[in-house]
Amino acid sequence: MSERRQLVLMLAPYAFGVSALIALPALVTFGLAFTEYDLIRSPELNGFENFRRLAEDDVFGIALKNSLVFAAIAVPLRLAAALGLALLLHRRFTGVGAYRSTAVLPTVIPDIAYGLVWLWLFNPLYGPINLLLRWHGDSPTTTAWGVQPPQWLTHPNDARAAIIIMSLFTIGEGFVILLVTRQGLPSELYELAALEDATAWGIFRRITLPLMAPILLLLLARDTIFSLQWTFVPALVVTEGGPPPYSTTYVPLFVYRNAFEYLQYGYAAAATLVMFVLTALIVWLQWRIVRRWRKGFAVG
Amino acid sequence: MSRIELETVRKRFGETAALDGVDLEAREGELLVVVGPSGCGKSTLLRCVAGLEAVDEGAIRIGDREVTRLRPAARNVSMVFQSYALFPHLTVRENIAFGLVVREEPKQVVLERVAEASALVGVGDFLERRPYELSGGERQRVALARALVRRPDAFLLDEPLSNLDAGTRVQMRTELRRLHREIGSTMVHVTHDQVEALTLGDRIAVLDAGRLRQVGTPDEVYSRPRDLFVARFLGTPAMNVLTSEAASPFLQIPEGTVLGVRPEHVRITTDGVPAKVDIVEVAGSDAFVHLDRGLVGRVSADARPAEGAEVGIAFEREATHLFDEATGERVDRP
Amino acid sequence: MRAGDRRWGGWRQPAAIAVAVAFLLPLWFMVSGSLREPGQPPPRAPEVIPRPLSTTSYERAFDLVDLGRHTVNSLLVAALTVPLAVLVASLAGFALVLVAGRARALLVGLSFAALMIPVTALLVPRFTMFRWLGLTDTWVPLVAPALLGLSPFYVLLFYWSFRRLPPELLEAARLEGMKPFAMWRRVAMPLVRPVTIAIALLAFIASWGNFLEPLIYLFDPDLYTLPLGLRSLETLDRTNYPVLLAGAVAATAPVVLAFAIAQRYFLHEDRGAGWLGR
Repeated sequence: MSERRQLVLMLAPYAFGVSALIALPALVTFGLAFTEYDLIRSPELNGFENFRRLAEDDVFGIALKNSLVFAAIAVPLRLAAALGLALLLHRRFTGVGAYRSTAVLPTVIPDIAYGLVWLWLFNPLYGPINLLLRWHGDSPTTTAWGVQPPQWLTHPNDARAAIIIMSLFTIGEGFVILLVTRQGLPSELYELAALEDATAWGIFRRITLPLMAPILLLLLARDTIFSLQWTFVPALVVTEGGPPPYSTTYVPLFVYRNAFEYLQYGYAAAATLVMFVLTALIVWLQWRIVRRWRKGFAVG
Repeated sequence: MSRIELETVRKRFGETAALDGVDLEAREGELLVVVGPSGCGKSTLLRCVAGLEAVDEGAIRIGDREVTRLRPAARNVSMVFQSYALFPHLTVRENIAFGLVVREEPKQVVLERVAEASALVGVGDFLERRPYELSGGERQRVALARALVRRPDAFLLDEPLSNLDAGTRVQMRTELRRLHREIGSTMVHVTHDQVEALTLGDRIAVLDAGRLRQVGTPDEVYSRPRDLFVARFLGTPAMNVLTSEAASPFLQIPEGTVLGVRPEHVRITTDGVPAKVDIVEVAGSDAFVHLDRGLVGRVSADARPAEGAEVGIAFEREATHLFDEATGERVDRP
Repeated sequence: MRAGDRRWGGWRQPAAIAVAVAFLLPLWFMVSGSLREPGQPPPRAPEVIPRPLSTTSYERAFDLVDLGRHTVNSLLVAALTVPLAVLVASLAGFALVLVAGRARALLVGLSFAALMIPVTALLVPRFTMFRWLGLTDTWVPLVAPALLGLSPFYVLLFYWSFRRLPPELLEAARLEGMKPFAMWRRVAMPLVRPVTIAIALLAFIASWGNFLEPLIYLFDPDLYTLPLGLRSLETLDRTNYPVLLAGAVAATAPVVLAFAIAQRYFLHEDRGAGWLGR
């Protein structure tokens, strides 16, 4: 068999998989967004009707806002935490291997099991978190400093915060990538900086950050996209989209319910498309901003 | 064992011509050294012969076969890489046997040939070790054994000595020479080190910017360089070059030419043209004397002048070279 | 800084301990919560270790839902998915190294683009497609993504790892007459073993924890994977925490075990660089 044929064969399964399971479905989503489809009758074109309905759908508005707020808060926090951990644990010292493993551990827990754990942790009455907060409180329902502890699953903002807090422990992937990146940076630069008597902050700002910027940017984009799917399991399992009215209904849950509970596939596809376009826009903006920042760095 | 012939070979990488019409022949059983500064195209030349790069134009022949369009494995040549390219997951024995195993040679043949090749380069003692347990010189020997074991038509060596420390390099240079004599195969050896080229090669080919400058025995190329580039590239320190004006106190040379004098031909005497000694570098038995007329002399360290001393210098007409000022080409004296 | 101080890590040591404690807490409470006696009145103060310790919740969890069967199902799905994903991803990643410039740039670019598409965007059409093929309520839709290496990310990871190998190693193999497939098997794969282990682990974690796709595709409880079993447990009684947590522990233990076995290959890999002679 010729080299060429072998290469084609080696690539074939992947090419087929990407076409059939990513490219084609993505195109179909695009098409379905302009139809009415309930899986029983064949799709019927209805132009921009789905988008008009979305614009008037309060639930979608709330879901979209929730998703964007979640991304705006959780993504930077997750990235900062992953970077912080990588910089803390990139050197060799006693126990560092165990610490690295520990930092990755919550990420490997199956989503649903992770959700159930937090359902327990966040229970307002006797979940471990609030028990801790109420410990030595003045009365059985207040904290030691006299206020009511967060009502994680019943108060809208507390529930949103709960979902963000949950997301901060599953940063293993970003952490490992940044750890490897940091270990790959040339040590001579740091030795040079030490000779120049640079401060820790100066080293971070002038060496570490610019050198890691390309990977950070990649992770930023990836995490932005990922964060919009990530909310699905916590919202479904921990908060069930509530507390009312739809405080933790995010776009993935909205799409899931419309498609698989209300059988409005065209409508769900339209919601997906809106989210996708918004995500692409955000990632593009991030890219522009970081590029400008790097240019500025190169000069100054 | 076969000769290798390149016929007007051209190879471009984007805008740059790595090989710009190279005609070169390595004769049967010869050790040909291709030498030139970094980026001159010498490695590309070797990779074109091996088939790792496709040539844009021209033809390559190995023995009587035209191989220009053949895939690398069909050319029956062995290559030794600068970084040795030993497979870290295989033992020394497996590395040496690699080519035979891939070609599915009978087990008996593999065993015999591996034993033969490893004895030839002296790696028989550590056949079961892995490459990362070996020193640079030992890795180099293993790479040579891997090249030998297949009994190829020709050997291609891409800067095989340049990753070694100075002592090992000199030792391996001698061993390469001995090895070549023993197996008598055609070898093309690429290097940027002119000392290596002069000491190792049956003939040497000087390459610059993708063009061949001169091919000949080390003696020919050193004593009758065909142009200024070759003249200055070979020899340490580089040949002195004087314009006709600067040369006038020593020799009258024709208008439009420059004078070349090798440092070892600059004699420091008590008479001669007066000059002042600027810097003296002692390199073991020799000393390099930098003089204020832009000249460098090479004398025995015992006979070196002091820095700042006023001396006289002279050189003999027979030991000098003339080059055309405009083209750099050698001008033969009438 | 004294040498001992450096080995100990200086200020990094207490910071690392704090991080480790924080990251272990969710797991700790999962395990300790699962060991509470079900039906006991809730605790009044934080308890690190429940009293009395009891494994009743585990028996109850496996009684209420057939978690044993779901575990076997999950293992079977993973056993099909993980090897296939590693095979496809490594073959494609290696082929990408060998194909010529423009085709490679195109394929790498497409892989990146594919990576950027969120799974939720593909849910509806994939479901429609598998329904049309009559493959819903089977494991096919769960295993099928292995055909693209589970994620283009794994293909790119393999591609980058193969690219980092010294090119002369592949050239030497080519000079000896090796074809791409033989090179993949005998030269490339042995040299990236830590990467392969890491990707296998990632694929296992993804397959094992996959919740969304089984939720959509599987209706027959006999086919349920473990995450769906947990979901059933949750819908039965959302407030019976010891039982829920027992299920969570049962679902988490295998991945933690796999992680514990595999992590040293990529979290503590210090040999890699020296091994390749660089």
